[in-house]
Amino acid sequence: MSSISELYDVCWEEMRDKLRKWREENYRNSEQIVDVGEELINEHASKLGDDVWIIYEQVMIAALDCSRDDLAWSCLQELKRQFPDSHRVKRLAGMRLEALERYEDANKLYDSILQDDPTNTAARKRKISILQAQGKSSEAIRELNEYLEQFVGDQEAWHELSELYINEHDYAKAAFCLEELMMTNPHNHLYCEQYAEVKYTQGGLENLELARKYFAQALKLNNRNMRALFGLYMSASHIAASPKVSAKVKKDNVKYAAWATSQISRAYQVRGCLPTSVGLHTIQVTFWPRLMSSNNCSN
Amino acid sequence: MGEVELSCLAYAKMYLHASQFPRCSVNGLLLSSSPAGAAVCITDCVPLLHSHLSLAPITQLALTQVDAWCSQTQQRIVGYYQANACVSDSSPTPCALKIAEKIFEQCNNTVLLMIDGEKMFPSCRVPPIVMYERKDARWALKDKHAIMLRQWEETCSIVNQLFSSGDQTLLVDFDSHLDDITKDWTNQKLNAKIMELISPANGNV
Repeated sequence: MSSISELYDVCWEEMRDKLRKWREENYRNSEQIVDVGEELINEHASKLGDDVWIIYEQVMIAALDCSRDDLAWSCLQELKRQFPDSHRVKRLAGMRLEALERYEDANKLYDSILQDDPTNTAARKRKISILQAQGKSSEAIRELNEYLEQFVGDQEAWHELSELYINEHDYAKAAFCLEELMMTNPHNHLYCEQYAEVKYTQGGLENLELARKYFAQALKLNNRNMRALFGLYMSASHIAASPKVSAKVKKDNVKYAAWATSQISRAYQVRGCLPTSVGLHTIQVTFWPRLMSSNNCSN
Repeated sequence: MGEVELSCLAYAKMYLHASQFPRCSVNGLLLSSSPAGAAVCITDCVPLLHSHLSLAPITQLALTQVDAWCSQTQQRIVGYYQANACVSDSSPTPCALKIAEKIFEQCNNTVLLMIDGEKMFPSCRVPPIVMYERKDARWALKDKHAIMLRQWEETCSIVNQLFSSGDQTLLVDFDSHLDDITKDWTNQKLNAKIMELISPANGNV
């Protein structure tokens, strides 16, 4: 079987740089990381200098993701040898136990880290991940809320909490989390768009108008966000179809919907591939009106 | 409710969908190109989402688009599948029940299919699926003997071939289509590859 360097005609420096890029941009392409990282470690470890340790960590986590316990174990041994008392390495050992579903042992390890250092956020977050893996969502939510009372600036945690609330159909609380995220990340179109989706799901005229506004905001921040474009079309159409709105509001929303329609058409003409002639006239907004929410426009 | 037959094509794509997003819950729609009758023949499926399954807008959008595509291609939506992120729990979520209810309003032989993640490994001898049907106003487990998976061994081998050739990466779900609208959520290319692998004796089943 040929090596990565042979298959893709790359040198070890390029492989190292690729790993750095994936690390910095937080990619979770674990199979690729294992392929590239394993070869780099086996053939070129001596050339990597101090980078080798962070690469061992990166490859170890990717190996856990791919059920490569052999590789994870050998990376862990190297790290243990180099950093014998490190909490960071202990956490990695804990993650390995999690991957083996030895949750009690993993929790013991994390508890020992927290006894030494109660402010260790990584260990706390791993404990919450264990609750999620065990399907204990309400406990995970409770622990995450407690965590956020102490570490109120942790964006990743706020987002994780919003996901947990969405899964539990607690849309109001999910919206609250997304509001926190939008406040601290006003230029992030994804948070705007997710917030709009939650509002749309909650239903009712007021929420639909909010949804439309935030879909529009997401589009202002990124005009290629297709979810936001479709969302704008759907929320505007729902509002326009509501018997409770004034003629002016109706007219405005018909305009917004028409604008969205033209943008969607253009996007598909320019770079899309529609399976057949599934044009916009087929997006019959009233077809599945009450799918998720118990409210709709006429409440 | 009568028998349910699950085609190799539908099974393979569902399996591939669940495998492509091992950390997420995924869902999709089950389609039939056969006329309505006592037995349900699931001939194809459309993978829908791998994120935010319980949010309305994209689900609504996907349902209307698939529905429109179905009427143009002489197919009907006959069911819904879901694979939960938490593999130890393959019971239908409230979201799965809601969507299945919605489909039931239009099709009284609706199939609710949950993929059992714990049974998804290459040497597993049983199909990793749990089927539910509408009975007495609730969703009940379907009798295993009324579920047909013709040529199960061949189906397994086809799925393995797709993984070894790397063709499993061809699968596109509706979510991925929205991220990049040049991707085809009807999976014409992958469908063709799978049909090639299905032997002539198997036909379209």
